[in-house]
Amino acid sequence: MTVVDTPPVAAGRFPRAAFTGSASEYFGIWIVNVLLTILTLGIYSAWAKVRRKRYFHGNTVLLGRAFEYHAKGSQIFIGRLIVIGALITINVLGIIHPLFSLATWLAILIGLPWLIRRSLRFNARVTSYRNVRFDFVGSTGGAFVAVTLGSMVAFLSLGLLAPLASRWLWRYILNNLRYGDRAFSADPRLGALYRAWLLPVLLFVLGGVIVGVIVAIGMTSQQTMGEPNEGLVLVIVFLPYLVLLAFGLVGLIYRTGVRNVVLSAALLDGRHELLSDIPRLRYAWIAISNVLVTLLTLGLMRPWAAVRMARFTNEHTGIRIHGDLGEVASQIEASGSAISAEYVDMEGFDFGF
Amino acid sequence: MASDASIAVGDWHPPNSSRSIPARLLEQGDGLAVEAEGVALNTALADKIEFSPRVGSIPRRLTFPDDSVFETRDNDGIDAWLRLRKGARTGFIHGLEAFRFRLAVFAVGVILLAGLIYRFAVPALVEVAVLVTPPFVPQMIGSGVLASLDRTMLLPSHLPEEKKQAIEAGFEKLAAVSEGGRGAYKLEFRDGGSIGPNAFALPDGSLIVTDDLVKLADGDQAMLLGVLGHEIGHVERQHSLRQIYRVAGVAGLILLIAGDVGSGVEDILTQGGAIIALRYTRAAEAEADRRSVEIMRAAGYDPAALARFFTRLEAVTGDHSGTSMLSTHPGTPERRQDVINYARELESRAPAR
Repeated sequence: MTVVDTPPVAAGRFPRAAFTGSASEYFGIWIVNVLLTILTLGIYSAWAKVRRKRYFHGNTVLLGRAFEYHAKGSQIFIGRLIVIGALITINVLGIIHPLFSLATWLAILIGLPWLIRRSLRFNARVTSYRNVRFDFVGSTGGAFVAVTLGSMVAFLSLGLLAPLASRWLWRYILNNLRYGDRAFSADPRLGALYRAWLLPVLLFVLGGVIVGVIVAIGMTSQQTMGEPNEGLVLVIVFLPYLVLLAFGLVGLIYRTGVRNVVLSAALLDGRHELLSDIPRLRYAWIAISNVLVTLLTLGLMRPWAAVRMARFTNEHTGIRIHGDLGEVASQIEASGSAISAEYVDMEGFDFGF
Repeated sequence: MASDASIAVGDWHPPNSSRSIPARLLEQGDGLAVEAEGVALNTALADKIEFSPRVGSIPRRLTFPDDSVFETRDNDGIDAWLRLRKGARTGFIHGLEAFRFRLAVFAVGVILLAGLIYRFAVPALVEVAVLVTPPFVPQMIGSGVLASLDRTMLLPSHLPEEKKQAIEAGFEKLAAVSEGGRGAYKLEFRDGGSIGPNAFALPDGSLIVTDDLVKLADGDQAMLLGVLGHEIGHVERQHSLRQIYRVAGVAGLILLIAGDVGSGVEDILTQGGAIIALRYTRAAEAEADRRSVEIMRAAGYDPAALARFFTRLEAVTGDHSGTSMLSTHPGTPERRQDVINYARELESRAPAR
């Protein structure tokens, strides 16, 4: 299909996940969610989230059975209330005295590993498949290495060591993930992660050259003609946005490549193989066209876009059971409060699969 | 169906187990029973069984008191039984979500509501927030911002003392005719470094004048006072407080509907919100310009002195541009003309004293 992503030879024998929802069905759920959220001044948004999550989990079907999402609206609501209250307090104090905001952000930075660990645990514990809950047993120290140290290494090396950081992050997530009494394990190879890193880096360099050429043309034309060209001025004004867009796109392609590598290297219970083979450029195209279609239709096509994306990723995810999975037993652990999960969600971190 | 009391067909899971047995749900007196091939697996009073609410057509879960679960895709069978037992109120939200013409009305309603909130509710809330803000808040913001500016960007002024006193004396006359009176303002001189010729107002009434601005005035005291009149206008109308609340209000509005629009669109909306906020800044600048003319006239100075500042600013910065969608301030030539026009208009309305 595409030049850059060839699925593993044996991929054909992998049973794939499917998405059984439809855009028209989700449109109803979505528009009622938005309407009730506005009418209740935002209060309903917590229950809306539960309905949205249940719709997407419940339509993700693997080996004939669907996932289920178990968080309660009241749980999400209390979590959101506390997070929003804390954010408002921090911002108000920050306006009153700048030194105060510095202190709070420092505290959040240090507390972030703890929040991320709790958030991963919450999300795992409210998800089930075949009546068995997931769980997450990672430690705060592990999250510090995987997230804080990892992103620092990736940032300070200007992205050169990003695959190393991705390896830390995904080993932390997958090796601590449990399905009932069965463990996931993953040891993605660094070489494979660097191969996934190559395409986004090439695109990034190419984008940089194009931006450089535009700026150079702008400079020379201004010097020679004196009067700046209207269209050129417009391009230069919107350049920061274009650069941001390109940056986001490159990140998207990179993250998708990493997902393919780490999930394909993961095992459940030491022998059942997982698979992810999302074609990266087509994924990027779907993401971009989704945003454009959503904006051009004032958001009304968002349900169609969300269903389209879910179908695409599900169909490129699979699992191969070797022998018999047997009876999996789960101890239902209390999911704990949704505070950290809501905070991590609001800050836009995404550790979803 | 074999039995006339059969409600739905599905799978039964023992408590916390992935093992499942194809089974049927039957009505049995006051309760429900799950049976497979004539063997009863579980029974319970209907009130003790937890029914998961219907979302689209995802599988329905009935959790029995012993934590065993009956899962079925026969949503309609379950709903029919629930309606018979509990009346039409069950599944109210799901009823709203059904794909019918009504959803088109909801969609129009959502767009109208969002528009109305942005156009009327946000400005109204901003006014309310400004009204209920206790006076110590602008005081603290002012002293906090000035303290942090002093640490980072501003240096002590190098102006000779007599120069400062001369400006101070002129300013007293100006402040005396403003709404707050003389006590509401405090003039601060600083070396602005790279900020260049500038003056700005803090919400507590502190007006900061950079040395470069005094140099740019080059002895034209009235021009300098014109700029200070403009800053008094900002303080009188509490522009910075309004701006803080407006940004918070628009962010809240986006947050309200954002959960369901996807992260890409959410980012774009936030950026768009920032661009729209600039429109209010431009309106605030124009308002402060007019206030400068009024105050200068009332204090007996040249009402259009501010226009001379714009002339000099143009000469120094070479800003001959018009107003664009992305500027915080209207174009300088446009502002100069507006000041001159407004001064003339006031003159013709009430001949000089």
